[in-house]
Amino acid sequence: MNQTLNLSAGPHVRDRWSTAFIMRMVLLALMPATVIGIYTFGLKALWVVLVSVVSAVGTEFLFDKLTGRPDTWKDGSAALTGLLLALTLSASTPLYAPLIGSIFAILVVKCAFGGLGKNFINPALAARCFLLISFPNAMTIYSLDGVASATPCAELAAGRVVNLTSMFLGTANGVIGGSILGLLIGGLALWAFDIIHGQICFTVLGAFTVFMGLFGGKGFDPGFLAAHLCGGGVVLGAFFMATDYVTSPMSRLGQTFYGLLIGVLGAVFRIWGAAADSFSYSIITANLFTPFIDTYIVDLPFAYRRRAVERRAPGWVKKPLLKSIPKPVIALTVIALLAGLALSGAYSLTKDSIDAQKAAAAAAAYKTVLPEAESFEPMTAQVEALEGQVYGSGFGRVYINEAMAGKDAAGNVVGYAVSVTSAEGYDGNVTLSLGVSADGTINGVSFTELHETPGKGMLWAEEENLSRFAGKSASKLTLGTDIDAITSVTVTSKAVVNAVNAGLDFINTQLRGE
Amino acid sequence: MNVTFRGGVHPKGRKELSREAPLRRFDPEPCEMVFPLAQHIGKPAKAIVKKNDPVLVGQKLADADGFVSACVISSCSGTVKAVEKRRTIAGTMTECVVVDNDGKYSPVEGLGERQELSGLTNQDILDRVKNAGIIGLGGAGFPTHVKLAPKAPDKIKYLIANGAECEPYITCNDQLMRSQAAGIVEGLEIALRLYPNAECVIGVEDNKPEAIASMRKAVEGKKRMRVLPLHTKYPQGGERSLIRVIAGVDFPVSMLPADVGCIVLNVGTAYAIGRAVAWNEPLYAHVLTVTGEAVREPGNFIARDGTSFAQLLEACGGVKEGVTPAKALSGGPMMGVAVGSLEVPIQKNTNALTLLAEDPLEKAEKQMTFCLHCGRCSTVCPNGLVPALMADAIDMKNWERYEKKLYGLDCIACGCCTYICPAKRPLTQMFKQTKAEIMARKRAAQAGGKK
Repeated sequence: MNQTLNLSAGPHVRDRWSTAFIMRMVLLALMPATVIGIYTFGLKALWVVLVSVVSAVGTEFLFDKLTGRPDTWKDGSAALTGLLLALTLSASTPLYAPLIGSIFAILVVKCAFGGLGKNFINPALAARCFLLISFPNAMTIYSLDGVASATPCAELAAGRVVNLTSMFLGTANGVIGGSILGLLIGGLALWAFDIIHGQICFTVLGAFTVFMGLFGGKGFDPGFLAAHLCGGGVVLGAFFMATDYVTSPMSRLGQTFYGLLIGVLGAVFRIWGAAADSFSYSIITANLFTPFIDTYIVDLPFAYRRRAVERRAPGWVKKPLLKSIPKPVIALTVIALLAGLALSGAYSLTKDSIDAQKAAAAAAAYKTVLPEAESFEPMTAQVEALEGQVYGSGFGRVYINEAMAGKDAAGNVVGYAVSVTSAEGYDGNVTLSLGVSADGTINGVSFTELHETPGKGMLWAEEENLSRFAGKSASKLTLGTDIDAITSVTVTSKAVVNAVNAGLDFINTQLRGE
Repeated sequence: MNVTFRGGVHPKGRKELSREAPLRRFDPEPCEMVFPLAQHIGKPAKAIVKKNDPVLVGQKLADADGFVSACVISSCSGTVKAVEKRRTIAGTMTECVVVDNDGKYSPVEGLGERQELSGLTNQDILDRVKNAGIIGLGGAGFPTHVKLAPKAPDKIKYLIANGAECEPYITCNDQLMRSQAAGIVEGLEIALRLYPNAECVIGVEDNKPEAIASMRKAVEGKKRMRVLPLHTKYPQGGERSLIRVIAGVDFPVSMLPADVGCIVLNVGTAYAIGRAVAWNEPLYAHVLTVTGEAVREPGNFIARDGTSFAQLLEACGGVKEGVTPAKALSGGPMMGVAVGSLEVPIQKNTNALTLLAEDPLEKAEKQMTFCLHCGRCSTVCPNGLVPALMADAIDMKNWERYEKKLYGLDCIACGCCTYICPAKRPLTQMFKQTKAEIMARKRAAQAGGKK
């Protein structure tokens, strides 16, 4: 036997699981949700997924080649980042979004910090937030079967009723990875195979639910809580984003704390902030706390835990125990709580003045659309009769908020003003005030809520476009014939005209008759 | 499922290669036999023979130097060729007694004679153990006479016989328990005389049902003795894991097993105690497995100290045809040491030669990535440490955090974290090195303080 023998320090065997194997398992676990997403949203979703995954892997490949680093693009983590990003996007997102997002995630968030294992926030979520900030409008087009509409989560935020079953199955409008069923299959499998830590995902869900129950305004109403859990990426976040190894703490106590932070922040952001993206921001915020948590919260070795020390008979030297909870952790908790309280406190302190301002704005709007009137008298009975349901049929999802009878100095009715909201704007709600003279002709239109694409949907707010409505007296306006549409602003135009028509209809049938 | 400890891993056992091969004696033909003077933990032994001295089987070649030390016994007869530096299993050149074996194996007078045990005092037992050169045969090689003499013998609650043999591949203790159960129990009974309040528990992993049956039969009717089947998991045979299972105690590295009322003896050590005390046969031969995918006929041996690995491999029919050994290990793949040459002598605590056809590390090195912080290492650590954070602390050279916050010195180097790491990071290796560095720095600081 003369051949050379390998020399190395032990142990000399290794487990079958490698980094690449774990990444593949997570990819596999995401498949149910991906497949359901593609089934629901069609080929468009497949394209978003493909563009995202391919550009993520491609970016890492190029980075490896150009910098002469080892071939890390093969380990599956880039593909995972790409897929996760795609699942947080709408199928209607223009394809440049997943492309730019994946490049940002891999190049800036991951590779620039040293590659897998060295990134300090979740690359997929960072990319999503980057896209949300860079392309706020392109990122928020949600359409299903060619019909643009608000997501269940946005409707929930507006206090409306949502269809839980379709949310659970993933057939509701929303992001590609919206199928709670698919996510739960994958997520629970990962947990069962010990790939993700139960103390993170279940703490996130638990803390979120409890906080929503306490401060969500609806108490512990099962339907309300279930709807919130099913919407806005809570499940995707809890099982696949929060549990990302690199950006979550190591110790059990630390992981629980981290889970609490995400759950509570997610609920705080959802109740008092932008509903749809609350979880992205809460997880990224918690990611930033991870190094801090890992520094201060470390699980004690078995031999130093209180139980073990007590078990060893007395008389032996007692090693110092965990000095209860480290001070920085207490400080962190207090800061997090204070921030939450400050948010809610500021909200309630300013609520009255916000309401007053809103009322003033509304009054001003009514005055604009019905200048002849000296005073406005609310017509609450007719509005309340609608019970907050979608108004009429053929107007899409339109709601009547308020109705006023405008009177002159002598007290005669000179016209009516209504506030109407269409939930089918390009970017959420479009709310306008509509003034109609006593003879039934439109006096004026004014927007109280319009956040559409600048240069496109926002054009409706301009004087010349608004004035298109004035003087019309048809009981129902048709886009294109009665009212000129603004070129390539289809969605907003439709919503605006629908809202005006609904308002007209309401005034004609419910108010003027009296 | 039998009792077990927290953490641990399940590497492939591969015991089927050699588990059914019965123990056989191996007496090499006339050759050179090498006896290192430092086979144990503690001070190396002092040679008491010189060149050209005639020696017999069972004769003392070197005497213990100080309390924590052990003597070295000749396993063959012949003449001393030299007392010089030779390469040993550790890979270093250390002082050895080299004997020219005449192949006759003539024993010293009285070797293997039955001894009267009734009049023996505890000190007599300890002296015989010391003069027999017995050290822990489980691997570490701590002198047994020191281990058997704790400060408060009456406070010892458990005398634990370690027959777990959790290390993959190795099967010699399995065979020893099957064929020499009575001899093991004899040794344990002698040891148990030292501890009036102790119970003897023989722990055997449940992948060795024959050994469990054989040991159960041997302890039948014996007082203060029982056999406990253990869950098969590495490192079940670690001293701390056994104490955790049997006495239910976790204790820091600053404490010894005796501090929590336990004495742990390998079954091989127990057998050696029996042979030494009851049969006047010092430790010059012990059980050993020659196994691995590259060995033609893996087997279990009662091998004489000083024999070389190459001779034992030859006794197994050599290397399997068509196979090129990639790595030779003294011991198993978890705790074993890779040896560069098979021309090194086996020592008292050498329990196996494992000849691997493939080196799993070659593949692992290609899969290496940065640490993911997946935490798998901390779930398998039998001591509850967080290896990933310890490695981070080493990276940042934050020794304070390593020692005080992460209790890095409590690492027992069992290798579980390295085994399980999906990023294939050499964690155990880093910890061993760091521990050595920290200890050296402490010793230097102490020495400086004294001046």
